Amino acid sequence: MERMRKIEIPIAENLGHGHLACAGCGAAVAMRLTLKALGEKTVMVFPASCWSIVPGFWPYSSYKITAVHAGFVTAAATASGVRAALDVRGENDTLVAVWAGDGGTFDIGIQALSGAAERNEDILYICNDNEGYMNTGTQRSSATPLMAWTTTTPVTQPKENPKKDIMAIMADHHIPYAATATIAYPEDLIRKLEKAKVIRGTRFIHLFSPCPPGWKMASEQTIKISRLAVRSRIFPLYEIENGRVYTIQEESRVVPVKGYLKLQGRFSHLSEKDIEITQKNVDDAWERLLRRARC
Amino acid sequence: MPQRSDLSQRGGEMKRVITGNQAVAYGVILSRVDVVSAYPITPQTTIVEELSELIASGRLKTKFLKVESEHSAMAALIGASTGGVRCFTATSSHGLAYMHEMLHWASGARLPIVMVNVNRAIGPPWNIWSDQSDSVSQRDTGWIQLYCENNQEVLDTIIQAYLIAETVKLPVMVVLDAFVLSHTAEPVEVPSIEEVDAFLPPFCADYAIDTQEPRAYSVITTPDYFMEFRYKIQKAMEEVPEVAKKVDDEFKARFGRGYGSIERYGKDEAEVLLMTSGTVTSTSRIVIKKLMEKGLSVAGVKMKRFRPFPSDEIYEVIQGAKKIAVIDRNLSAGVGGIFSQELRASLYLREQRPPVFGFVSGLGGRDITPELIEEAIQYTIENDRPKDEIVWLGLKR
Amino acid sequence: MPMIAVSAGDMAWNKTGAWRTQRPIYEDKTPPCSAACPAGNDIVKFIQKIEKEDFEGAWNIIKEESPFPGVCGRVCFHPCESKCNRGSFDEPIAIHALERFVADFGYGLNKKTAKLEEKNKEKVAIIGSGPAGMSCAYHLARLDYDVTVFESLPFAGGMLRLGIPSYRLPRDVLDRELSDIEALGVKIRTGVTLGEDIRLEDLKDHQAVFISTGAHKSRGLQIPGEREKGVLSGLDLLKRINLRKKVQLGDKIAVIGGGNTAMDVARSVIRMGKKATVLYRRSREEMPAFDEEILEALEEGVKIRYLVNPLRIGQKDGLKRIECLRMELGEKDESGRRRPIPIPNSNFRIDVDHVIVATGEEIEVSFLPEGLEKREGILLTRRDGSTGIKGIFAGGDLTSNQRTVAHAIGSGKKAAMAIDAFFKGKDPDVIFQNLIGEGPSLSIFNYLHPAERVRNPHVVAFEELNMDYFEPAKRQGESKISVKERIKGFKEVSSTLSEGVALEEAGRCFNCGTCNECEVCYVFCPDASILKREGLFSHQVDYDYCKGCGICFTECPRGAISLKEEEK
Repeated sequence: MERMRKIEIPIAENLGHGHLACAGCGAAVAMRLTLKALGEKTVMVFPASCWSIVPGFWPYSSYKITAVHAGFVTAAATASGVRAALDVRGENDTLVAVWAGDGGTFDIGIQALSGAAERNEDILYICNDNEGYMNTGTQRSSATPLMAWTTTTPVTQPKENPKKDIMAIMADHHIPYAATATIAYPEDLIRKLEKAKVIRGTRFIHLFSPCPPGWKMASEQTIKISRLAVRSRIFPLYEIENGRVYTIQEESRVVPVKGYLKLQGRFSHLSEKDIEITQKNVDDAWERLLRRARC
Repeated sequence: MPQRSDLSQRGGEMKRVITGNQAVAYGVILSRVDVVSAYPITPQTTIVEELSELIASGRLKTKFLKVESEHSAMAALIGASTGGVRCFTATSSHGLAYMHEMLHWASGARLPIVMVNVNRAIGPPWNIWSDQSDSVSQRDTGWIQLYCENNQEVLDTIIQAYLIAETVKLPVMVVLDAFVLSHTAEPVEVPSIEEVDAFLPPFCADYAIDTQEPRAYSVITTPDYFMEFRYKIQKAMEEVPEVAKKVDDEFKARFGRGYGSIERYGKDEAEVLLMTSGTVTSTSRIVIKKLMEKGLSVAGVKMKRFRPFPSDEIYEVIQGAKKIAVIDRNLSAGVGGIFSQELRASLYLREQRPPVFGFVSGLGGRDITPELIEEAIQYTIENDRPKDEIVWLGLKR
Repeated sequence: MPMIAVSAGDMAWNKTGAWRTQRPIYEDKTPPCSAACPAGNDIVKFIQKIEKEDFEGAWNIIKEESPFPGVCGRVCFHPCESKCNRGSFDEPIAIHALERFVADFGYGLNKKTAKLEEKNKEKVAIIGSGPAGMSCAYHLARLDYDVTVFESLPFAGGMLRLGIPSYRLPRDVLDRELSDIEALGVKIRTGVTLGEDIRLEDLKDHQAVFISTGAHKSRGLQIPGEREKGVLSGLDLLKRINLRKKVQLGDKIAVIGGGNTAMDVARSVIRMGKKATVLYRRSREEMPAFDEEILEALEEGVKIRYLVNPLRIGQKDGLKRIECLRMELGEKDESGRRRPIPIPNSNFRIDVDHVIVATGEEIEVSFLPEGLEKREGILLTRRDGSTGIKGIFAGGDLTSNQRTVAHAIGSGKKAAMAIDAFFKGKDPDVIFQNLIGEGPSLSIFNYLHPAERVRNPHVVAFEELNMDYFEPAKRQGESKISVKERIKGFKEVSSTLSEGVALEEAGRCFNCGTCNECEVCYVFCPDASILKREGLFSHQVDYDYCKGCGICFTECPRGAISLKEEEK
């Protein structure tokens, strides 16, 4: 049944306009939606990333919630400290969240994240994954996908290693909740954030955000590409509870990866063979996800 | 909050024979620290163990974050202090070095964190013994640095450190020697929690997190404004001598013990002064006494506060001295012992500029024996000016 | 200055709108259905009202442009559905069924159309009470003109009553829509024939005359035996059936022709308990009759023989003998259909009781005054329906070869607009500022309220929509009664949609080019620069902050946002 329906999202605008994100920034859509879901009773810790600059320069900030800028390495550790302080002061119902990029999560921040997860710190960690160090001009991170162009993986020697499976890593820390989400599915994202909000312990959201300049794509395609990522199974949507119980939000209209790759200049050097390999890797990864979900 | 229960009940006496690390633990408890975050490293480990036990036994309500590295330890405290609670960590050597980035952050964010650093050499070669190079290498990070001569001073300094930190809004590093203090038991008078409460009021931060007043912290700041923030830090440092004196005087009035920023001992108007810090001072006191009995015009200056460098206080006590010998248990390769360098710099613009003899000794825990100290003094007496920038004591040739 | 770098204000001072090189604008465009509707309905608008469960609102929308939703919802050939963009995704929307649903709902509420807020005093005479004439009367009466319709037959309705059987268009549906028009003050004088009972000169006290006498003469085959007994005109037969006159027919009937009239005749014959065989000279594809008509006819037992051309009609043993020739298809002719070519020596004979010829209609012009020109079977008029004689307008089947109910309704409306412009001394071309899309249909709502519902005439193509927001869903049209039931009599074959089904079907509409407040734009704007507003436009771009990224334009499921270059 198809009735005309609105996409329902919370009303509060907790990210003010006038911010410095590029036109069409996927992370800006993500941040705006996320802050709507998290609400005012939140302290958000954010390490170095585009979001050190985007909210604006002192004395101004587009954040309408409490936001604490932290050292690049330290997001999860700083958040652990904030959590401890709030608990000491009796503010147990204030949410402590982290907004870190893929660099600050997969690479330099992974120690702090792993430590916090192992201690099951009561924080909601959101990794905004745009698959590279975009703030510093598009260098590769361990979240950059195989064969992608970045400034440190030029076309003559594109990224040789596959993307790190951060969800598997987090699941194996046995944290109560981990989920993938992306901006083209706003209700799914908000549902997962609201679900995560009320769980105690370490919650991890892997949030996929296209980056027009870094991925060399047209700014108006941001949502489309996010959607294609899910439909092509490059970035499937699923949840893992307690490291064991998987719930996969299956997309009915599956498409080949080619359509996703062709829209992004960072993959324009891929040959037909490369695309075939990518398709095979995506298919294998999907199979692996299904297997892990079953056991 | 830590309960008053344990201490008075534990043996009944107020005076205990405890190691430096235990004294640290008591200092932390008495200061009603809310959040501790630490990572083990020899020779700090027993601080952490002591605190863990007290917290686990429920006698302390302090939250202890058992983080996975020192960098995270300081980061966690930065988070907690921004949250407006009193924080503590302890580390040493490599751990301190690992924290370096975060030390800058703590002072830049004006967070009154107190940290104990147990002076230990930084390798390689791998070495776990007493050496000041770790703490003095952090002298540019905007932390107040206070050095201790004995375990009593350690406990007392921690309590004073919180009051200083929370007044000037800068973090404080309390430093003690590895093993010599950390693992050596000495008699220490442990005040009661009520007495400390009367001295150290609860912490109320200026910009603590308040979700009803949403703010962004440590926002990116352009060249237009950054320097002014740094200026404020320098100004805060300039307030420290007065604040520290007031705190010390108050402490003395209540507890009967005061330390000053420096302490001069020995012959009045001596010709030769010996400047030392840490436990070397204890040994020096004996040497100075002995040499005074022999009729030599010698005196000692104990350096308690290293940052901010107590230029004025030092200048006052060196009136009349012809030469100053400094024993550094540290080395900044390429320039020499740091205390001696700082002293030379502080005298440069002054009227009286007695030559400063820079001695380096005791690195990596080598004992600085009374003989070596005497050797240094003798060298200073016998030479008008030092023959070398750096004079090495006890170096094996 | 505070001690630390804590924020003290927001970034609202930073008008990031200055970054733009392109700007999005909310711009309703023309949906292909509305562009294709000869009657000029605002289709998406009324469907949107249905979706909002504002059925009364939907009724009002339709009645702004056409007085005949109940009629069109049943008998229109729905070119809107052929152009419906949903057809490129799964199946087109059953627009006619929705129109019918709204009409029947309005009838259920006993709704009547209200007059508009105009005061006019001119008198207009309309000749012919078919869909063109009544549509013209309706719009003129709404504008407060004094309208009299002259109808030669005893009943109003024209082809609607005479040519279309009641199993397709029940009489009560026609009657209620006609009475809605009369309720506006239109006087209908039946039994008055132009040229016999009155002449044009008698109408001089009317400031304008609209002639819409239609095309009722049967075009014959021009073959021998056509004028003999036993060979009937299809139009005449339908007229007799629809006027409830007695009709005597033998058992086996042949119907010659391939249009709707032929189908209507054949199906009526079936309902009279007889056998009907349709003879058509081309194949199924070329048959001009509506597909549904053909399908229903076949279901009801009508036989169709394709590629058959009658040569002569003779007599044999009391039966009519039709001598036929088989045909094959050659190249396309001017109508775009493949030309039938006789196959030599393929003659054969069909014996039937009656032959009914339904091969087209022709206009009657004998009563028309001098100065009105006829050419190629139609009366010539200017683009706005005016003729060479000042004050005389014409429309409907009389003036066009596109002989459908919807075209007639649109033609009457156009004439009403032209007459209004004529009376008000406006430039006759002014009415063509109200084209829907590229035309030729017009919107009288637009004519009367120019700025209210502005639509870019660009017709939205399927490629301009975003299919990511739609899931395939089956089309739900009306249900039909069983064939057994149907052929028992002239009961209506199809039924009106239930409310639930109507809502579901309306929910499938893409709303091409028309904002329906789905808020996709609002959700995905990275700069929170889509503002929600009360009033005329539900959403507005905040140009102070919009960076022109184009996400709203790309994501809008219905292409209701345009992206234009920013002026320097």
